[in-house]
Amino acid sequence: MKLQLCLFLAVISLALLCAGRVETSRRPRYGGTVRVEIGAVVHSLDPAGAPADAAEAAAREEIGALLYDQRNPDGTFVGVAGSGAFHIAEWEPGKQLTLAANENYRGGRAFVDSIDIEMGRASKDRLLDLEVGKTDFAEIPPEEARRASERGVRVSTSKPEVLVALVFVAGRRIAEDAHAREALARSIDRAAIVNFILQKEGEPAGGLLPQWSNGTAFLFSTATDAAGAKDLWSQIGGSPRIVLGYDSGDSLGQAIAERIAVNARDAGIGLSAEPIASPAASSPKYDARLVRLRMTSFHPRDALSSFQSALAPMAGLDAPPLPVAASSEQIYERERTIVNGCRVVPLVWLPRVYGLGARVRNWKAPAAGEGWPFADVWLEQESQ
Amino acid sequence: MTFRSKLFWVFTIALLLSVGVIAAGVTVVARRAFDDLNRQHSEALVAQFEGEFQRRGQDVVHRVQGIADAEGTVRMAIDLSRPKSDVSVYVNDARGVSQSHQLDFLDFVATDGAIISSNEWPARFGYKMDWLTQSQDWSSLGSFLLKVDTQDGPALGLMAVSSVRVGDRDLFIMGGERLGKDFLNSLVLPAGMRALLYLDLDPAFQPTNLVDASGPVADGDRLASFIEQERQQPQERTFEISWTADPASAEAFHALPLLGRQKELLGVLLVGSSQQEVVKLEQHIRDLALAVVAMGLCFGLLLSWWGAARVTRPVRKLAEGAREVSEGNWGARVDVHGRHEIGQLATAFNRMTTQLTEQREQLVQAERVAAWRELARRLAHELKNPLFPLQTTVENLQRAKDQSPEQFEEVFRESTGILLSEIEHLKNIVGRFSDFAKMPQPELGPVNVNDVVRGVVKLFEAQFSAMGRPPISTELHLEEDLPLIQADAALLHRAIENLVLNAMDAMPAGGVLMLRTTHESGYVDLEVSDTGGGLTPEECERLFTPYYTTKQHGTGLGLAIVQSVVSDHGGRISVESETGVGTSFHIRLPAKPPARPSYMHSQDLTAPSAAEHSEAIPPETPPNEGA
Repeated sequence: MKLQLCLFLAVISLALLCAGRVETSRRPRYGGTVRVEIGAVVHSLDPAGAPADAAEAAAREEIGALLYDQRNPDGTFVGVAGSGAFHIAEWEPGKQLTLAANENYRGGRAFVDSIDIEMGRASKDRLLDLEVGKTDFAEIPPEEARRASERGVRVSTSKPEVLVALVFVAGRRIAEDAHAREALARSIDRAAIVNFILQKEGEPAGGLLPQWSNGTAFLFSTATDAAGAKDLWSQIGGSPRIVLGYDSGDSLGQAIAERIAVNARDAGIGLSAEPIASPAASSPKYDARLVRLRMTSFHPRDALSSFQSALAPMAGLDAPPLPVAASSEQIYERERTIVNGCRVVPLVWLPRVYGLGARVRNWKAPAAGEGWPFADVWLEQESQ
Repeated sequence: MTFRSKLFWVFTIALLLSVGVIAAGVTVVARRAFDDLNRQHSEALVAQFEGEFQRRGQDVVHRVQGIADAEGTVRMAIDLSRPKSDVSVYVNDARGVSQSHQLDFLDFVATDGAIISSNEWPARFGYKMDWLTQSQDWSSLGSFLLKVDTQDGPALGLMAVSSVRVGDRDLFIMGGERLGKDFLNSLVLPAGMRALLYLDLDPAFQPTNLVDASGPVADGDRLASFIEQERQQPQERTFEISWTADPASAEAFHALPLLGRQKELLGVLLVGSSQQEVVKLEQHIRDLALAVVAMGLCFGLLLSWWGAARVTRPVRKLAEGAREVSEGNWGARVDVHGRHEIGQLATAFNRMTTQLTEQREQLVQAERVAAWRELARRLAHELKNPLFPLQTTVENLQRAKDQSPEQFEEVFRESTGILLSEIEHLKNIVGRFSDFAKMPQPELGPVNVNDVVRGVVKLFEAQFSAMGRPPISTELHLEEDLPLIQADAALLHRAIENLVLNAMDAMPAGGVLMLRTTHESGYVDLEVSDTGGGLTPEECERLFTPYYTTKQHGTGLGLAIVQSVVSDHGGRISVESETGVGTSFHIRLPAKPPARPSYMHSQDLTAPSAAEHSEAIPPETPPNEGA
């Protein structure tokens, strides 16, 4: 018995010794350039400028988080570009951006010297570059996460923080019909979207906040009710047809929209999914739109407020702003009010999914409202 | 219508009928030939379509079977046979597999009929295709037509189903090709033919569902009724449609219904044959017929002209000869030769005119002899009466000189008085004959017949009611608006005077003399009637013969003069008489006398005119007849 105990202690000691050696060999090191590939095309880094599409807006959010040190309460950046962990070294709008480490960053200099960001790369190219080690970091569409993982790519997945929702455009005749809105909301099979289209990378969304945020998401139903939808739709006079628009470059949006069309057809609802070539020209034709809303804060009140303010112009929401110190109950009530009106139909929650190169170290998936944590990332020296 | 015109129309109508019959016959034969050709083309195209259909069906079956046999599919089937398999992994597989196998439609379907992955409608995963699980032997079915739901709407597919069975679970693979314009493009079509395909995908006819090799058919709704018939009762049928008012736009269609597994109508193949060529041919035939007819008309014209020259010229000559004979030229001859009927007719005509001339000359000779005899008789009769007193007086003178010289002087005076009286009588007789012979030619001028009639009646008024004879009353019925005629008033007066004298002589016991004038269509009629004893028909026959008289002391020249005057004025005279009732003379005079025909002048040389008779009367000819 004593011999067995001694052997056990010896094994433990050897394991601890080995672990200590490994840790010793992976100490952070300074230097190196992180190669980043993104799908979006960023034309301007001016926070006041309007982005061309949701992808550009998201990319500018990520880059801004690296350039700026502070934010306003509404989430917009404040201060001077370069006050953050990095500053702009080279900028070729729409193509290439090089950020260099800010030596005077108050949070401490980043480990890497610079970040090279290449824009407009297709998802399959980004995935391929990750596989061959041509890039260190790339965005991966959630629906590609499982495939990427199966192909051996390091995948980092955040908590679900991007809401995909169907928004009825205020003023459209069919959008003003509560029966029509509710019929469509009931007809949608969210689970199928998550399981098949998102390949289980995401969650069905019944409310406007994810379960991890306020803890009340389970109170919102995500079940499909085709019969109820059919019944509601039959109460509508005539045979209206809903035109659902999605961003023309958004393949996930297209897949979700087309699935919604199938669900709607099953419930007897006439719906056609059509791409929106230009957001500016979208409003006259489309009765509803698919939108992606990214949580700007992990705090439920701030996240809901930002959603509310973002959706209000399109959906015609007229609810007053939430109090600064709104309670969880108040937040839930507001969320319930918005969801019950069916002007905004939450569909699914998406995580942010990134592919990481083999030499990227100390990567932590960003929380809601946080940008890419490149300030803490260091690069493993490549073996000669 | 002239004989030439008749001949022309006969030729033309005969030609039109024959050309029309030939053209119609050729048209019918040509159309039948084209119809047969089109039918053969349609049948060949339908057979080609069916062959292509079968070939493609087999190809689809092989490709679907190839997918089923592929390792990836087998792995999928094995994976899905596990209790907690994740079908979402395969949701996008159909697209890649269908592209690699060049299939328009491809569905992976789970054993419960739920769609795992769909190429034609990727978002349709999870939905059930229950009918797929009901048949157990898809491999023996081969290919079949199916109405496939796609993201862009229903489509018609040539489909095949295969399955991979792992344990008690099936993985169905349903794939196929779209049946549409690409399929039609693969058909080899003869010139003038085309293939249309109607995809019966909607509850009602939709023109956009009718496609040809280039896409939707323009004016496809024109075929709606025929498609609807096919939808109501699917069967092979043919029909024809004109796309425009132009007959050349007509197109004949052969419709072939395309049925699905349950024998439901899913499409209609329409093989169209343009009727342009046959219409063009018919047009050519028509044009040719019209050209032949036009040439035929010309030919008919020439032929009728020639025919008329050959046939109608002798007939016209005969007609001309007949007209000359009718006008009195009995010596007219027709110059027609030939042994045909017309020639024989002409010969007979010439023979007839020759005989007529000869008989007329014989008649003239006979009449001349008769006239001479009559003249001789009249002269003998007229001269015999004064000659007898002359002879007696001369014998008395001779006798008185020989037997009673003392009385000779007295007898001489008395006898010379008688002789002079009788010689005067003879001179009167000779003068009357001389007057008749000297009948002058009329000098025409405007004459009112009523005035002439009134003048004559006025001249004889005193004699009508003369003492010692029964009175004669006159009745004048003169038409007031009688037109003027061209005539010689003096001759006309003389003629009417003779008639009135005759009437007076005919009424020794008194009576009624009626004169009536009327007019009718360019003629003036004069009637002179008496209520005398009348004439016998024989007397009426000879009444106008010169020197013929029914009176004791008449010369027989009065009515001859009347007839001569009337004849010289181009008129006619006739007589009606009834014994015991009276006699009426009717004279009809033209308003304008015709020109005196030439043969009349020539006839004068030989005709027994009074002058000639008077001059030619032999002085010794004894009168053998007396009136």
